[in-house]
Amino acid sequence: MTGLAPFLHKEMRETLRTWRLWVLPGFLLFSAVSSPVVMYLTPTLLDRLGAAQQGFSITLPEPTALQSYIEYLGNLNELTLFALVIAYGGIVSGEVRGGTAALTLAKPLARAAFVIGKWLSQALVVVVGAALATLICALLTRLLFDAGPAARLAPAVSLWVAYALMLLAVLVLLSVELRAPAAASGAGVGTYAALLVLAQFDVTSRVTPAGLPAAGLAVVQGESAHWVGPLIATVVVGAACLVVAVLRFRRREI
Amino acid sequence: MTLAHIAATPTSPVLLAGLVTLCVVEVGLLAWALVDLYRRPSSQVSGGHKVPWLILCVLLQIVGPVIYLVAGRERPATARAGRLHADVPAPRPVGRPDAAAAADRLFAASAGGADPGASVSPSPSGAAIELRDVRKAFKGAVALDGLTLSVPHGSVYGFLGPNGAGKTTTLRILAGLARADAGTVRVLGRDVGDGADVRSLVGYLPDVPAFYRWMTAPEYLRFAGSLFGLSGEGLEDRVATALTLAGLSTTRTRIGGFSRGMKQRLGVAQALIHGPRLLLLDEPTSALDPIGRRDVLDMVASLRGRTTVFFSTHILADVERVCDTVAILDRGRVVTESGIDALRRSRGGISRLSIEVDDPGRLREALAGAPWVRSTQAGEGGTLLVTCDDVDAAQRELPALVGRLGLALRRFAVDELDLEDVFVDLLDGDHP
Repeated sequence: MTGLAPFLHKEMRETLRTWRLWVLPGFLLFSAVSSPVVMYLTPTLLDRLGAAQQGFSITLPEPTALQSYIEYLGNLNELTLFALVIAYGGIVSGEVRGGTAALTLAKPLARAAFVIGKWLSQALVVVVGAALATLICALLTRLLFDAGPAARLAPAVSLWVAYALMLLAVLVLLSVELRAPAAASGAGVGTYAALLVLAQFDVTSRVTPAGLPAAGLAVVQGESAHWVGPLIATVVVGAACLVVAVLRFRRREI
Repeated sequence: MTLAHIAATPTSPVLLAGLVTLCVVEVGLLAWALVDLYRRPSSQVSGGHKVPWLILCVLLQIVGPVIYLVAGRERPATARAGRLHADVPAPRPVGRPDAAAAADRLFAASAGGADPGASVSPSPSGAAIELRDVRKAFKGAVALDGLTLSVPHGSVYGFLGPNGAGKTTTLRILAGLARADAGTVRVLGRDVGDGADVRSLVGYLPDVPAFYRWMTAPEYLRFAGSLFGLSGEGLEDRVATALTLAGLSTTRTRIGGFSRGMKQRLGVAQALIHGPRLLLLDEPTSALDPIGRRDVLDMVASLRGRTTVFFSTHILADVERVCDTVAILDRGRVVTESGIDALRRSRGGISRLSIEVDDPGRLREALAGAPWVRSTQAGEGGTLLVTCDDVDAAQRELPALVGRLGLALRRFAVDELDLEDVFVDLLDGDHP
């Protein structure tokens, strides 16, 4: 793939110097900080605010480190994935539409390197961002509660990372196929919603990527989790999306 | 925890005050950020898109607006440019001798250094570009209709045509950004479909070059050079030389703050960074002011003899100024192709004479039957404009005729046809 290294270098610098840096890591950081803090403060807040109310009582269990981790994974599965879909809808089409791709692709940069470079750079953001956010979440949780099942958090987040990378590959493909970034984001939201629907059925959640978020939650809770099938499906779907994206982009006129 | 327990606990005034303060700050920041985002044009938002910032502000509650207000806003380009111009003199390209010296350094380095195109064999015909019966249509609209032309090595070749003639489509095909539906496209002896091999020998500037707004000019040139396999000291030397050529050596602002002329000059510089064997320029002077036009044309002129330049435009004066060969394109076909002087001469030997006499009306009547006269037209102040097929006959017979009529000859001159006359003459009949 001619030109992959310099293009990847450019993409990483672009991530560091533009809004891209703030969106996904911002959501990851928010999830990492807010989850343990909210879990820690919720009973106290309800207690204080409820004191002003008369006529009913609220009984809450004492929050634990496990609940903090579950809240964190929940935020990753919903808020952060939604942000990823919206933010990266124009990952390829934005550059083609803006005209910068024409100058870049007229140079000896392989079309495959362009597509893979886009995915790789943002995959790196997801991996590093998730690792840092998880570390922060674990430290804050330990500070506010106790260490809890911290050892189970890493594999659970790894499953989330695999799911996010697959979703990123889907967005790359959509962004190659659809010329308007908004259309790609819209189709990405549709894909995300479809996966949520598939996750509701036992069969589809075991053999499609849709089951991976729930598997992550089960892993952190120490329950038996069916993660192998969804993980294999996630890798296959992600790789297939990237291959198709490369093949389609090679045929595309800029 | 029961309601009785909660009810028995007095609400902490400190906690209440803290919550109210937090709410006020959050709502205030959110309102500030959203109003600013609404009013601010996309071009002044980091990344150029408002939607991600909107989502960030709404979903991240207090954190999102803070991130946007700190990092999401950019100063207007004009303000940055104004600041730039206040600090340093307005960036200008180097003069023609210095530009030629800079071009020398770029091309000397490519000849002596690692030449990415060294393995490419020259075209058997000796042409830098060969197009044969090339066809291209977009959703039924024909853009190129059997285009055939040949561009000699080392020439500055003007590709002239009205808007919509197919110039940009041709350039995009040559640059590997689009594919021909049919026909043969060869660049430097290779099929364009061969990919990176050919692109490593070509420099390309589209009609409206778009750069990464967050980069500076040296950063963009480094990126461009690295894609051509350049690195280290060699790359830095080339970047410095290209910046000198483009007159951007002292510019430190981001490309987002560049004027159109600065972007165009940077566009030429990035196309030259690797010392290409073929330079494709798509209307490089369109939409530039006269000074910007002159700057870019000077840069192109400085490349004569160093590389092949294929230069599309609809501005006739630009072609006359820098090109030595020209093809005129209309509706996807080449109408004519030749050297500029030959093209002027080849228009059936047509010339225009202007003659000023004391009675132009009588002379016009007398000329009506002359076999070498195509048309006559009254000019200003007693001048008669005579278009003729045979300029030699006209030069012999016209003064004699004036003498026979007893008219006073005040001025007699042969006006050379300019390219505009040729262009209009060639295309006028086809365009209602």
